Order: sequence, then C-alpha cells, then structure tokens
Amino acid sequence: MLISVDWLKDYVDINCSIDELCAKLVSVGFEVEEVIRQADNCKKCVVGRIEKLEPHPDADKLQICSINIGSEIVQIVTGATNVKVGDLVPAALDGSDLPCGMHIKKGKLRGVASNGMLCSGEELKVTEDDYKGAGVYGIMILNENYPLGTDINDVIGTNDIILDIGVTANRPDCNSVFGIAREVATVLNQPLKMPSLKYEESTFENTANVVVENAELCPRYMLSMVKNVVIKPSPKYIQKRLKAVGLRPINNIVDITNYVLMEIGQPMHAFDLANVANGEIIVRNAVEGEKITLLNGVTYTLTKDMLVIADSEKPSVIAGIMGGSYSGISENTKDIIFESAKFVRESVRRTSRKLNVRSDSSARYERGIDLASQEIGMKRALQLIYETKSGDICKGIVNICKESLEPKQIFCNASKINEILGIKVPEQDMVRILNSLQIKTEIANGVLNCSVPLYRDDIENANDLAEEIIRLYGYDHITCTLMDSGKQTIGGKSIELQNVDNIKNLLIGEGMNEVYSYSFTTPKMFDLLEVPADSKLRNVIKLLNPLGEDLSIMRTTLAGSMIEIMAKNITRGNKNARFFEFANTYMPKALPISEQPVETQKLALGVYGETEDFYTIKGIIENIIAYFGVKASYVRPDCCYLHPGISADVVVDGKVVATFGEVRPDIAAKYDIKNKIYVSEIDFDLLNCLFDNSYEFKAIAKFPTVERDLAVVVEEAVTAEQIIGVATKYAGKTLSDIRIFDIYRGKGIEKGYKSVAIKFEFTSYEKTLTDEEINNKMNKVIKMLDNELNAKLR
Amino acid sequence: MENRIKEILNKALSLIDDSENLENLEKIQQIRVQFLGKNGELTNILRSMKDIEPELKPIIGKFVNQARDVITERIEERIAELTAKNIAKKLNSENVDITLSSKRNPKGGLHPCSLVINEILNIFTAMGFQVKQGPEVETDFFNFQALNIPKDHPAREMQDTFYINDELLLRTHTSPMQARTMIKEKPPIRIVIPGKVYRPDDDATHSPMFQQIEGLVVDKGITMCDLKGILDTFAKALFNENTKTRLRPSFFPFTEPSVEVDVSCAMCGGKGCRICKGTGWIEILGAGIVNPKVLDNCGIDSNIYSGFAFGLGIERIAMIKYGIPDMRILFDNDIRFLKQFN
Repeated sequence: MLISVDWLKDYVDINCSIDELCAKLVSVGFEVEEVIRQADNCKKCVVGRIEKLEPHPDADKLQICSINIGSEIVQIVTGATNVKVGDLVPAALDGSDLPCGMHIKKGKLRGVASNGMLCSGEELKVTEDDYKGAGVYGIMILNENYPLGTDINDVIGTNDIILDIGVTANRPDCNSVFGIAREVATVLNQPLKMPSLKYEESTFENTANVVVENAELCPRYMLSMVKNVVIKPSPKYIQKRLKAVGLRPINNIVDITNYVLMEIGQPMHAFDLANVANGEIIVRNAVEGEKITLLNGVTYTLTKDMLVIADSEKPSVIAGIMGGSYSGISENTKDIIFESAKFVRESVRRTSRKLNVRSDSSARYERGIDLASQEIGMKRALQLIYETKSGDICKGIVNICKESLEPKQIFCNASKINEILGIKVPEQDMVRILNSLQIKTEIANGVLNCSVPLYRDDIENANDLAEEIIRLYGYDHITCTLMDSGKQTIGGKSIELQNVDNIKNLLIGEGMNEVYSYSFTTPKMFDLLEVPADSKLRNVIKLLNPLGEDLSIMRTTLAGSMIEIMAKNITRGNKNARFFEFANTYMPKALPISEQPVETQKLALGVYGETEDFYTIKGIIENIIAYFGVKASYVRPDCCYLHPGISADVVVDGKVVATFGEVRPDIAAKYDIKNKIYVSEIDFDLLNCLFDNSYEFKAIAKFPTVERDLAVVVEEAVTAEQIIGVATKYAGKTLSDIRIFDIYRGKGIEKGYKSVAIKFEFTSYEKTLTDEEINNKMNKVIKMLDNELNAKLR
Repeated sequence: MENRIKEILNKALSLIDDSENLENLEKIQQIRVQFLGKNGELTNILRSMKDIEPELKPIIGKFVNQARDVITERIEERIAELTAKNIAKKLNSENVDITLSSKRNPKGGLHPCSLVINEILNIFTAMGFQVKQGPEVETDFFNFQALNIPKDHPAREMQDTFYINDELLLRTHTSPMQARTMIKEKPPIRIVIPGKVYRPDDDATHSPMFQQIEGLVVDKGITMCDLKGILDTFAKALFNENTKTRLRPSFFPFTEPSVEVDVSCAMCGGKGCRICKGTGWIEILGAGIVNPKVLDNCGIDSNIYSGFAFGLGIERIAMIKYGIPDMRILFDNDIRFLKQFN
C-alpha cells in the first residue's frame, strides 16, 4: 500500500522524522517495505534568475549565462534560444542528478567554464499538464515568482515522500490514508483529524429508486445523485496525490472515486444516469447466462451466484468489480450516480476469480470493507464534488442497510490477557492502549468491557485483544521462559526417519552427494524414457495452474529427474559424480483424482564416470540391503529405460524393493549423454517395512576354518547364482562361506565359456575338520557342478 | 682349570666386544656356538670334568656356569643392541610421502538444505520435540480451513497455491500437520515437522518447491514468553551464544497474537552489513500463539490448553548461513556446488 506522507499529514501531525515514523510503524505491525523520496530523483537543481546573457566567443549557438541562485552567481553555458535576462529557470548545479537520469558536472564548453545546466521540462520529466510552460521546446521558464535558490522539487511538486506499507490481511481497515493515519495517531500519540465531509445540497431531488434484492451479499448500499456535472481536470493537489500513489488522473469524477478509494478505503462507483433505464437501481443476482460487456471491452457470461447492479432492463455493473462499457463517465455525461456499497468479500473474490477480472475496486473488496466506510466515503466524495464545483448535489442519500451499525461489545478478563502473554501488563495500561486504538474500554472487577468500532471486525476474542495490547505495550516486554508449566516430553525421530539418516550417512560414505529436484516434472519425460502407454507410471496427477508445461505433473518416478541431473552435470564437463535423492512419488488411487494420492518415499541413485560400472551401483545397493537386515535376490527386470542385459530388480520377500542398472544408451542419447550412466530407484517405504534390526549372539567357532579354492569352466550363460546354488547345496552344513573371487575369459578358455574361481570356507562348531572330510565334500561339489551345470574342473 | 675357564671367558668377552663382530648378528651367533654350543669351548670343559676329582666338581661346575651366564648375558645384550640398531636403520630407510593423496573413495555429502534441517531438528529434538512428517498433496481442509483460512478468505492471497482440483492442492506450508497432529493426539504436544512445500513463485529468493520446518507446542499454560524463550534458545544454538531475538507484530490466520521473529545478524553481530541489509536484524521465522479457533477446530479445549507454533524456511536459512546469493542454485544440483558441503 503506497501512502503519501503529504496526504497523511491531512489527518495527523507527524512530529518526528520519517525514519522514526517507519520504525514505529514496524514496531506495531506495519512493515515499511520502501521509503520513496520523490526529491531523490532530482538533486541540486534550484530556481535561478538570468542576470546576464553574453554570446560565446567561439561558438555561435552557445550563450554564457550568469545565474543568480540567491547565494551566489553561477556561470552556465547554454545552447537554448528561448531565454532572456530576468527569466526564472531551473538551474542544475555542479553534482546534480536529474529525473531524466543525467548527472551534471562542471566543465568547459568550447573553452568557457560552465558550472551546471539550465533544464528543459523534458529533462525534469515535467509535462505541460504538470506545469504550464513545461512543454515548450527549450528551457522551462518558470511562470511564478519563487525565491532564488528554491529547490526545484518544491516548484514542480515532487517533494512528497511515499511509504510502501505492508498491510496484513487482518487489517483491511488500514488500506487507506485515513486508516494508516488512525494507527499513526495512536503510535505518535497525536490527535486524529477527521476528513472534511461538509457540502451543500442543491434543490434537486435524488430520484433514484433503489432495490437491494440480495442483502446477504450486499449488506449496505448507499447512492447519491449529482446533476449538471462539469467534466474537467481535477485540481492540481488531487492529481499530484493520485500520481504519487501510482494512479493516472483522468477527469474530476473518476479522480474523485479514486481519491476516496485511496483516502478512505471505500470503493466508489460513478455511473452516468442517462444510461440507467427508468432511474432504477437493482442489486440482484445475475440471471444464469446473462451477458455484460465491461469497461475493458470484454464480454462476460454471468452465472446466478454473481451479484450485479442493474436497471430495470440490463446489468450495468458487476458488483464491486467493474462497470459495463456503456455506463461509464464520458465527456457528455450530465448527471451521475455515486454508489458506495459494501459487498461481501467472498462473493467479490469468487466472481473475480471465476471471470478472471480484477480491478482496484475488487482488490479492495476482497480484502474486506467495513460497514462504516460507505457513509464516510460517500460524504467525502460529495464534499469533493462541492469543493471542486463539479456539479449540483441532489438532496438526500439512499442508505439501505440491514445490519447493525452498533459497535461490537467484548468482555474479557484482564488476567486472561496476561495468561496469553506470560507477563503482567498493568490493567490501567490495557485500558489506556485499547482506548488509544478507539476501542472504548472500561474495566470493572478485572473485566475489560470493550466497545470495538465497526472497522475493527478482526477483533473478536481475548487473543485479539492481547495482540492489540502487546503490539503497543511493546514486544520488548516479553521475557524468555522455557515452558515451565509444561510436561516433559521425549523428543526424537521415528525408526523410519532414523533409517533415512543412517542410509544418508552410508551413501555419503560411498562418495555420494545428495540432490534435491522438483516434485513436478514434464509429461514429456515418459516419452523420453519410453514408458509404455499402459504403464501405471503414466497415471499422473496434473496441476491446474502449473508454472509451465515442464513443471505440470507430479512425478511417479524419480528416475527421470536423476537422469536429467546427470545429463546436466555431464554437459557442464563434470567428469564423474555419484548422486542420491530422497523424495516422494505420487500415485493417484484413481483418476480423475478425488482423494489424496499414495505418496511413497523413494531413494534414487545415479552414478557415472570412467571407473563406474554396474557393480558400483550394485555394491551400494548391497550395502543398503545389508543395513536393512534382509536377504535379497537379483532378477532381470522389465524396465523400459534400462539396458536389458545390464540391469536388475532387487527382490526381498517376493517384493521388488529396487531396480537398477545402466540406462539404455539410446535413451541416454536423447538427453545428449554419450557416457554410460547408472540409475536406481529404491522403494524406501517398503524397505522400512521390512527393516529387521534384531541381533542375536551366536558362539564363535573354536575350531579352525578350512579354505578351499576351485576353478571350473562353464558356459557364459551360467550365472554366479546358479554355481553358488549348486555348490552350496552339496557342500554340506559345515560350509560357512562361499564366494566367487575371479572370472577369467581368454587364453586357454574356449570362446563362449568362462572360468569361475570359487572360494569355499568350512567351519565346524564341534571338531577340527579333516582333509578327508573336506575332500569328500569338494569331490561331491565338483561332480554335481558337472552334472547340473556342465561345469568342468579347470 | 680355574685359569682355563677365566681364559675362555675373557676370550669370549673380547670376541663379543670386538668391533668387527659388533655389527654382525651372525658373528655373534657364531661366537655363541664357539663357546656355548655342543662342542663349544666352555661345554668341553664340562665334558672334561669326568676326569676331575669329585670334590672339585661342584666348584668347577659353578665356575663354568658363572662363565656361561656372563657370556650368555653379554651375547643377549649385544643381540638386543644390534636388533634395536637394525630396526632403527630399517625405519630410517623407509618413508612415504605423507602429503600424497590417498587411494580412498572420497566421501560424499548432504545437500546444504539437509545440513540445515539436521542442525535444526537436533536442537529441537534435544528440547523434547518429536519429528513428524505429513503428506505433500493436501486437502483444502487441512491446508486452509482447519487453520482458520476459510474459502475465499483474503488470507489465501498470502500464499499462492498450486491446485490439483477444488479440494486437493500442494501444501503451501507445513502447517497442515499441526491440525493433523492435534486431531489425532492429545496434549502435551511438542512436534517439529520438516518437509517440502509449494507455491507458484520462481525468482532469486523464491522457488516453486522449498522446505519448511514447522513447530507446535500445545500444553497447559503456554505463553508468548515460552514462545520467545524456546525460539531464543533455538537461535542461540543455530547461530551463536550472542544471538539476540526480537519479536515484531505480524499476522497469520492460525496464530493470534502473531509475530515475526528477527535474530541479530550473525555475520556482523548486529552492526549492520550486506546480509542484514544494514539493519542488524534478520527475519528468520513466523510464529504466534495458536489461535484458539484452531485448537477448537481440532478438538482441543482452548479454555484448558494453549500453545504456540512457528515456521521457518530452510532455503532462506541455508542462504544466510552459507552466503548463497540465489535460491535457484540450491536446486541446480551441480556437483561442483554440492561438493562444497562435503
């Protein structure tokens, strides 16, 4: 909310510096986001009188001026031809800044010293409308007698200070100059001056016939009439103030509605009486399908929940939002109607959203307008009509109001306020503060009896009063306590969250870096990953209002984002990286979606680089599986984006807990990746369910472990799992460990075959194993490997 | 005989101490064999004792044993000396370039946001707060209505929202978990809720997805002073002991009174710098006394219980703590950035 300090001073004297005022506003809950000093745009430019004009000795088109700026005579060389001795002109002195962006320094022009510049209207960003004579080609000649040396800002009216004040949603009453003035008066302990509402009515009658059909959406409707309107520009001060807060002056009538909106916070609407059939004004719901063309030139089709202002024939305004194209004020307007109404914010908001039409008026209604503003706004508008001699004010104001205009009464124990705050605010301070806020308050037997003005409908209970009291009493009175009255509780994380932390630490140990990517992604991802059309991954939740197509669906897999992250890093020349991400996937229970989806916590891994291969990522996964204390088997997956030969599903208890492998080179190529990259997606919620952290002590064997190595040659297709399976089956129960420690292909081994070296460990808890016992087992294993897998001893 | 033994002893000792033999472990072992071995000079004496008169036997035997002990001792001494010398020599001759990089697999690291989350959660869990998590796709009811933000209320303008349909949306804050917890659990409640939240903004200080940590306390007799005390303790733990806390009035529909919490700038100690834009203060969280309407909405009797709630943005804290100028860097996931936090 932009507030002009000049305007603010109409209603409260500011007896401190602007910085102090801002600090005080912040301390009571009004953030001052920016202080705009208009004069900052134009520095060291003053009124000067031309005392002498001489031709430049070396340049025909230049003149040497002697400028009297009060304190001294300054020599300035100018190229302008429209100046003469005795003229008052804006003189930009050495070191000055001008609104056009120029910075003026003294120097020499063709050998003659020039200590500044005479300014044109354009250089000062002043138009003919702003100042008569500013539009002339050449130097702007001032047309009034100002003391020499006067700051030019005071001449052209750019000496205001504008405060950009953040008004919170609970304080719609402060979205106006007068509303802010009320707060300022309280914090500065200054009297609040009331707006001038005095005007004289003419002998004309207010002939409008007003009917409010829907008082629920329109609790108060006021209407007045002005005849013989003179459409003309507004007085300078009104134009200046409107411009200061970012509004363009148009004509006196439109400007008055805007002025009242800014000053009082009440949206006003002015319509041409000539366009109101039969002088009838009906506040009613739209007829379903009814059409209206608004001032913005667009035609809208209305629904029956929308409120309109209509005459006996047609709707002319969408209540609180915008007027119809024909109903507005034009040069030919003779008689007007002023509307000052309260429309409920929910209705305005809904209609504005539905039609996608916004205006200053609708914005104000959406924040909420109190029931007291209609009258003060209307009278202020009529006062401005009167003051500016803009027309004949008809007798009487129509005022239809079904609601009570009495202040709200709240009773509250003073002790309750202190219970909320935790300090002891003296009762007399509570009473003083509330009264200073116009909340008329008395106290009897420790009970505050508060009469809350209409514009403070945010105040309903003890907590609201506590806030009013403490923000003025001062938050620095609040001390630090540590819930002495509370019960002790045990803090911490669930096992599931601890698992996340532990796995993150494990992954860090594996040299992995954590990433965060957006939960929304592009629907194109599915085509890039060649996800089949009937895959459930394609059942996605779509956002109604995404930031763009690329961020429009909630992801059902983390693989796409992980591949993108690797692609980005590869493109940037980062030679190797290991990434992990914990994030949710979002699976709708049904489409179209009607209830919250299933959110599953997934862990994505991504690795690439010269030394990485399938077994890097498998090793990481094996460590994760080991952490969860479960047994996994590895089977070939059916995963569209993974290399069919270099990928696996990790199966635990018959459930796939993870899928990993090399991304298909043709799919990687679509991401401009030539390198081999490996990804995995792990169902972390599922692993959490399977988590087994039970440990049981088992005696350590007293007898030595015996090792045996064996190398067999098998066909390529035979898997490690098959070999280990057969060997384990026939090695007997003293086999304590078995692993493949080498695979050899090449010289001495026929093509299509491989030599597999297996290490066996035998341990007995009962006795020392003899060579003979072990040899028997090994012979059996060798025989069965041959029988079942056609494995030949090497 | 006695002289003979003395002779042998002196010979042995002089051989052991001979500088030529001194450095040589093998020579010393040979000397042992020469005198004490099966056919050693001293052993031979013992062997020749069968010809000696019986009454002299014990005396001679004693002499021989004494001589053997002296020789043995001297040999052991030499061996020990030599071994020590050899080890020292070996140790001196072996060394590695300790400044050369190791062969380890360099460790990875957490995302800076996770570092901040961990730090914050550690502080609050130590103060008795349980960590909770909630759904990111929320209902309008929990995200807004239960928190005293009815439909078409102007407070909805405070938080632009990604909608999925009329009733479902991406949560705009972690606050819905306040309501979910209060509906399910009875006081005392002390929880913190980290999580992703979503708002349609995208610039240097806003990201459409970001993270918050929400806190909620509901118990008997909880006051604004408790809010300040807990958050002041938190700020001191997160930044440093000298950090000061300041409350400013603000507005959130689900707390009343509501405050913004500023902390004295940790970079300049409150003097004013680029980070705090010269004010000496940094706004880090929003907080307030739980609005009694919210307690009542969630089935907790506001006449008996009161509480406070707070929420803070993780990315903002990470940016302040690590001096990151643009929020988008946090979601860029460039390994060169991420490694800075390993």
